Amino acid sequence: MRKFVLIIMLPMLLVLADEGEAIDAPDFALEDVDGNTVCLDSLIQKGPVLMSFWALWCKMCIKELDALKPYANEFDSLNITLLAISQDKTRAVPKVKPFAMSHKWKYDVVLDPENTMRDLYHVQAMPTFFIIDQNKKIIFTHQGYKPGDEEIIISMVRELLAKGEEDGSEE
Amino acid sequence: MGLKSKFLFALILTSFSIAADIGISGANCAEYWVFVDSRLDSLNYKEHLTEKLKLSLSYKDLTLKGIFFFWDPSVAVPGELQYLDYTAQYKRDPVSILYGTYYTTFGRGLCLNQFLDEDFNNDNSLYGLKTDFRFLNSRLTLLTGTPRNIFFEELTYSIKNDTTDQIRGADFEMKWYPIFATETNIVTTIGGRYVRVNRVTDLTPKAFTELFGGNIGFKIGPWDSYFEYGRQWGTKPLVGGRLKGEGMLVTTGLAFPGFGFSVQYIDYDNMGFGGPGYRYNEPPTPIKSGISVNRGIDEIGYGVSLVASPFDFASVEIDNNKVSTHDEALSEFEQILKINDRMDGVLEQTIKIITHPTFDFEITVGLDKLTKQGIELPIEKKTETKPYADLSCDFGSFFVDVGYEHTFVSSDTSDYYDHAASFSIGKPELLVLSLRYERRNRVPGWLITKLGEETGWPMAELSLDITRRHNLRIRVGGEKGGLICSGGVCRFEEPFRGVKMVLTSIF
Repeated sequence: MRKFVLIIMLPMLLVLADEGEAIDAPDFALEDVDGNTVCLDSLIQKGPVLMSFWALWCKMCIKELDALKPYANEFDSLNITLLAISQDKTRAVPKVKPFAMSHKWKYDVVLDPENTMRDLYHVQAMPTFFIIDQNKKIIFTHQGYKPGDEEIIISMVRELLAKGEEDGSEE
Repeated sequence: MGLKSKFLFALILTSFSIAADIGISGANCAEYWVFVDSRLDSLNYKEHLTEKLKLSLSYKDLTLKGIFFFWDPSVAVPGELQYLDYTAQYKRDPVSILYGTYYTTFGRGLCLNQFLDEDFNNDNSLYGLKTDFRFLNSRLTLLTGTPRNIFFEELTYSIKNDTTDQIRGADFEMKWYPIFATETNIVTTIGGRYVRVNRVTDLTPKAFTELFGGNIGFKIGPWDSYFEYGRQWGTKPLVGGRLKGEGMLVTTGLAFPGFGFSVQYIDYDNMGFGGPGYRYNEPPTPIKSGISVNRGIDEIGYGVSLVASPFDFASVEIDNNKVSTHDEALSEFEQILKINDRMDGVLEQTIKIITHPTFDFEITVGLDKLTKQGIELPIEKKTETKPYADLSCDFGSFFVDVGYEHTFVSSDTSDYYDHAASFSIGKPELLVLSLRYERRNRVPGWLITKLGEETGWPMAELSLDITRRHNLRIRVGGEKGGLICSGGVCRFEEPFRGVKMVLTSIF
């Protein structure tokens, strides 16, 4: 029973204490499907970074990335990078690029076969979505995907951009 | 220092660090099961409690990580399992030095593949020192460590390779870009690696295993190719004498907007190394559903995958994959393509079509066919043919998903079928309620000993987003169990009847 209380209480206390507070985004350098290195530091200089953790076997992950396709051009024009971080192990790596291209994703598809990013960002479920602002803070975390969740992601992005514009005009 | 004291120390450290300029993050997964073992009697309730807390503290170039895990079943045997893993890492370009528990893969895994598969509860880690140096588009990894494999099967977590074997390895990889910039993206990768294990628990004199390997890869615009070769030599486990082996992996693929194609070829002859039930390397299997024949000991096969979206409203995915043991009586080409009566093997053929008549409406239809020979003993040959359909509709404020699948199972002793219907309704960023009913028309004799005599499995699941960082899943009902695989590793999942509760949190 003591263990049960520990299990329930400890994470609740930790998370509730932290709810709403932005967390620093850990640095990373990953290889994309074309063999280029992608670093958080260089991406963040252009604009906010969105990250979706996905895998070939994850049906809802693919649905999420498909649902965000109509917004790809908008992201591009606003210098927002969407990183589709593949969690497929080494055996499935050859299939990642053909799959992403066939789905006409205009995102930066990066490979993480050792799941170092999953460990770094403490991903518990697939998909998990993060929004990182230009101060390198994680301002939005969302586990799982249900049809319609993309609207929440888009509204968060627009809110972030509006806030950035307000801050810019105040300066 | 005891395990509990260590954990307490980590917590105190965390509390103090809140005041300091230290980044803290983490995650928690708490799981509670209460269930009945249907093969015994209906009053025989069991409980499982699993807790995994991950904490990460970072200060400038230094990161400290701790993972506290405990699994507490209600039964005295095998009793609880708990451990505390920790990692200290210093990372400043071009150097990274890590001490503690870590995972690593050399190349595509022919020589060394120590990985964590959290979704399958398969934890292959190394404990020791790992260093990485990055310079001039190159990377050199040097490591030493003691392996550990924690695996969940038959409703029990256990350490499969409780050895004091020491693994030492070096992995080098270099990328070449063309000197003159071209419009076409061209990257060439060359790598080499070496692994040695002094098998101290093997009582034969000077027991060791060495693996060498190399790879070359090209990425030229839409074309992507990769070749890896590995060679093993050492002493035979437990009996001594010389053991030699080799393995080869070739993949090639083409990718254009709306079209993707990949081909894979594998040939492993005594390439897998480790012990009964575990491997230190894990040569890739081309089978999408994760089945391998004997995990790199004696395997030959291919994988062909085609994905195309010829229209914006439709896409098709086709896979044809095969892996089997060798048969020297056949030519190399025949061994790749065929499974004859002398071979053990798997042939997987799948087709899936997804259509979107409107943006909010999706229909998926597909057919999976899986032929296994010598995989699910005592059955020699088994064929599973599964047509399925799924409809999902997004109404804005809520969504609905309806699915049906019918699996015809034909084996050398009996035929039967399984069918399942599912219904889900959900609201974005709040909850999903799923109902599923599975039924088997009859249970063949060979399956009764493994899975019991049940023929119906109703199940309800609620997934609730408590906050954006908390998710609670409650599942009530039955799961039929059976053989499930991931990355070449398989286990026989026990049938389940009871309640599962999982709370995941990120902070």
